[in-house]
Order: sequence, then structure tokens, then C-alpha cells
Amino acid sequence: MATGLTMTESRNGGVCIVSLTGRIDGSNAADFTTHLNGLISSGEKSIVLDFADVLYLTSAAFRALLVATDEAERKAARLALCSLATQVRELFEMGGLLDAFTILGSRDEALARLG
Amino acid sequence: MSPAGEQTVNVTIRNEITDLATVTEAVDRIGAEVGIPSKTVMQLQVVLDEVLSNVIKYAWPDGGTHEFYVRINVQNGGIEITIIDDGRPFNPLDQSPPAPAADGRRPLPGGVGIHMVRQLVDSIEYARFDGRNQVTLTKCYGLEPPLRPGGE
Repeated sequence: MATGLTMTESRNGGVCIVSLTGRIDGSNAADFTTHLNGLISSGEKSIVLDFADVLYLTSAAFRALLVATDEAERKAARLALCSLATQVRELFEMGGLLDAFTILGSRDEALARLG
Repeated sequence: MSPAGEQTVNVTIRNEITDLATVTEAVDRIGAEVGIPSKTVMQLQVVLDEVLSNVIKYAWPDGGTHEFYVRINVQNGGIEITIIDDGRPFNPLDQSPPAPAADGRRPLPGGVGIHMVRQLVDSIEYARFDGRNQVTLTKCYGLEPPLRPGGE
């Protein structure tokens, strides 16, 4: 499906890693929000979102990430993003949102920070 | 038969967020057929998602099912996208830029979409006529540079 977003979870110690594959846009941002908020409300305290296989994201995805980051803060949880492709990083920059999130270069760096 | 590298796609979608997929697929298809660079295709997808989502969310505040129209024309290394809807007047260029984040706070998401669109296209125009909104976006993706005279 061309518009698909796949979210696959794995675990490394106490860190929940969500591997994102595909595009995060208006058609699936609501699912993305539900998924992230579900993880936070289920008690996850350290969440890494691996963007390595994300093609692009739109402002609907930024909204979801901002909501989830606020929610994580309220629940004393930590949320980090890692492995952004250059073109995806540029979108964060265009949105003026590079500083709004914890963004790390690789999954290993993210695990070192949150683990 | 259109010349190589030239193609037009007309898509009619409803004011349903799920209908965005029809346009996403059309853009992927035209990008592959005409040979548009993948980064440009990705940027077009972002632009269309932003502009079409706005139409779907705001054009018909009373609800109901409405159809609107998207035309994508590719020729000579340039792409022109026209979006026409018969919803309430809505000029995307009138949207405020994102509010600066308060000290130590995260920015609010409002206005980020159109702010990105402005950076991703070469031009964006809005017109209102016959009770319709028309947004026209253009983006060049560049052709192979011509051989330099005297070059090898």
C-alpha cells in the first residue's frame, strides 16, 4: 500500500524501540498518535523512534510528535528520535522543529542516551 | 501520445482524509513514469498532503461529502499542481507563520504545514472565482544541464 506506515516494536533492556517504515502523513498521523500515546500510557518510560526507513513526514506527523513529547513529559517518560535520513532531517529543519525533539544520529546513540 | 517527459493527471477526491492515498499513488506513479528525482517526488508528496489536508479539514465546515479536483501537469522539468474546490473562501497564503516557541517551551504545531509548503515549491498562487478556490503550485526539478560549449 503506497501510503502505508508500519510501526514495529522491539526492546533493548528497558528501552522500547519503535521502527517506523514508510511515510507519516495526514492519512495515518491519527494512527501514529494513537500508537505513541498508547505506549506512553501503558507505562513505557524510554521510547526510541527509529526513523531510518521513513521516506518523509508532514506537519500532521510533527503534530503527533509534539503531542507525544508533551505526553511523555507529563508521565516522566523519555522520547528520542534517531537515524533520520538527510531528506527527512531537512523537513524537520523546514518546520523549525529540529530543536523541539531529542534527535540522535544512530540507534546506538539513542540507546546509550536512554538506556 | 504525449511527448516523453510530459504528462497530466487529473484526480477527483472527496473531503475524506482516506482519499489522500489516491493522490499519493498518482504522484508516485507519475514520478516513476516521467523520471522525476525521488527527492522531488517526496517533496511534492509533502506539499500535496499539506494543501489537500487543509481543504479536507476547512473547506466545508458544515460537513457532508464534497468532491474536489487536483491536476498535476509535468513538462520540461517543471511540475504544476492545481487544486480547485467549491468550499468556503480559503487562501492558504493568509495563514500565520508558526508562532515562535516561548522560552524553554516546544513550539506549537500551528502554521508549520504552509510554512513548509512555501519552502518546498517555487511558486504558490491563490485565486477565488465562480465560488471556487484555486491554488496553483509550481516546482522545477531541473533537467540534465546542457553540454557546455567547448566542453569535452
